[in-house]
Amino acid sequence: MLALIEMKRRKLQFAMVTGVVALISYLIIMVTGLGLGLNERAGTGLLALDGEYLAYASNANLSVIRSRLTDAHVAAIEDAPGVERATPVGYVAAVVEYGPEESDTAATLGVVPGSFAEPEVVDGRQLEAPDEVLIDRAWARLAGTSIGDTLPLPVGFDSRDFTVVGVVDQGYVFFQPTVYVSLEDWQALAYQGDPSQRPAASIVLIQGEDVAGASGDGWQVVTKQEGFENIEGVQAQQSTVDALRYMGLLIGTLVIGVFFYVITLQKVSLLGILKAIGASGLFLATQGMLQVFVVAVVGVLISVGLAIVTEATLLSSDTVPIMFNTNSLVTSSASVVIGGLVGAALSVRQVAAIDPIIAMQQQ
Amino acid sequence: MAILSLRGVSKSFGEGPQRVDAVRDVSLDFERGEMVSLVGPSGSGKSTLLAMVGGLLTPTSGEILVDGVDIARLGARERTRYRRDQVGFVFQGSNMVPFLTARENLLLVAGFGGMDKGALRRRADELLEELDLTHVAGHLATRLSGGERQRVAIARALMRDPALILVDEPTASLNTELGERVVDALAEEVRGRNKACLMVTHDERMAARAGRLIEFRDGRIRHDGSVASDEAARSDRG
Ligand SMILES: Nc1ncnc2c1ncn2[C@@H]1O[C@H](COP(=O)(O)OP(=O)(O)OP(=O)(O)O)[C@@H](O)[C@H]1O
Ligand SMILES: [Mg+2]
Repeated sequence: MLALIEMKRRKLQFAMVTGVVALISYLIIMVTGLGLGLNERAGTGLLALDGEYLAYASNANLSVIRSRLTDAHVAAIEDAPGVERATPVGYVAAVVEYGPEESDTAATLGVVPGSFAEPEVVDGRQLEAPDEVLIDRAWARLAGTSIGDTLPLPVGFDSRDFTVVGVVDQGYVFFQPTVYVSLEDWQALAYQGDPSQRPAASIVLIQGEDVAGASGDGWQVVTKQEGFENIEGVQAQQSTVDALRYMGLLIGTLVIGVFFYVITLQKVSLLGILKAIGASGLFLATQGMLQVFVVAVVGVLISVGLAIVTEATLLSSDTVPIMFNTNSLVTSSASVVIGGLVGAALSVRQVAAIDPIIAMQQQ
Repeated sequence: MAILSLRGVSKSFGEGPQRVDAVRDVSLDFERGEMVSLVGPSGSGKSTLLAMVGGLLTPTSGEILVDGVDIARLGARERTRYRRDQVGFVFQGSNMVPFLTARENLLLVAGFGGMDKGALRRRADELLEELDLTHVAGHLATRLSGGERQRVAIARALMRDPALILVDEPTASLNTELGERVVDALAEEVRGRNKACLMVTHDERMAARAGRLIEFRDGRIRHDGSVASDEAARSDRG
């Protein structure tokens, strides 16, 4: 096969462009991974909730932090058309001093024990009594807390010891690992004033059908996804990451495009000869595209390897919010290969335009 | 029927004052088994004529009939196929694919499709043998000497057993003895396999080895005859 023999005999040239493609593809994978990682930190804990819709206070501008709902709101939401089940969820950011001089913020969610808002534990047991807490794996990694430990959660200027009874796998909310307490405990943690004045919940988690857009006196319902997208900073973060990805893809497409354009220019006389002795334009274009495909696929495979190595070494610590999944790797890889083929398609026109008469004009 | 007939073929390049009439109203017939030399001064239109017969240029006017089909009227796809299957072209510059070996340069035409690969492989080895190239079969084209490259080019042109062999200056980089051998090999191929060969050359000794000699001047046929009678004509003039 002409294309492959050429690659074999011109190793250096093709190895160089493959290397560049690998680096660009690596960059795209890392940026995509960063996007995923940041998204996960921003609010997978919210997305992981077992319901399709969220109800917010209508004056909260879809901010979980600002949203406060009363018992009357919760009751009205439960009765709204399309709602099958609804359960209140509270949110407060709690600074946890888990060791001497060591503290971090946990996104503390209050849920009714046994309700569908309470996440399933992957280890230990569900909430049963007051002063019990479920911690997320992320928190366990961060603070080294495990089942049976006590977790001091702040109440006013004081703190209250909670017992860790289970571990869940829900992720983060607002860049903080999540912990789960009962709704009553949450009320005590979040509001220290007159108990009769305490809000009943921050938001309401809803299972049902066609509830998005429903609203009533002081509350409104949106899809969970819309709630997630309205988390402070998520949209800006998403568009930044997307811009970087598209930039990387554009650069990759251009690099491959320009490389094969130059290679084709170098070979114009050769391609003319091949046409003159009976090669069709289609045959030559296929050979070119085959080379692009090999370069792109090998480059992408190298970059995926690099990314996996990076994840295993650099990213095993919890400080860099980069994560990969098969989906993102496949998408990034496929987009680089397609980008390369698109870039190289420019050269196909050039190949088609070569007049075989040039075979007679060289000496 | 003639395998190749030119009927009033003309080719001009450019427009207005820049116009060059490279070939003017040429009519010729070639039979199977004929080995023809084209001679003439530089710029007389020999290569242009060859390019038209080889399907690389379309005549400005006239017809080029190969087995009765006017190749000037072929579409792009049929033209490619015509070049692939019916023409074996040896260019003035013996154009090899530099990163392929001598043998791979022959097998290259297998990739263009339309022929059995095993048969092509046997044919390649046969031609390498005939043209005394077996010992350099595995050498990259860039490492071959001028003469070896020229012979590989000839072998490549013969690979698909074309009806027409078109050769532009085949012996330019060969010494006389090797040149004669190459031309004789071509002549044998032409006679043995009933092809027609048009060979452009400046070398009178090579030209004399063909059966028929056509002399060009300013795009026109100045003389056309068998080599023997041509030599007679020359001596008449001289
Ligand atoms: N593409 C072209 N554009 C313009 N003029 C051309 C072109 N090709 C050939 N010519 C002109 O046509 C004439 C015939 O050229 P051609 O190459 O056929 O000559 P030739 O007999 O093969 O010469 P040589 O022996 O030097 O190879 C020349 O005057 C040449 O300059
Ligand atoms: Mg010429």
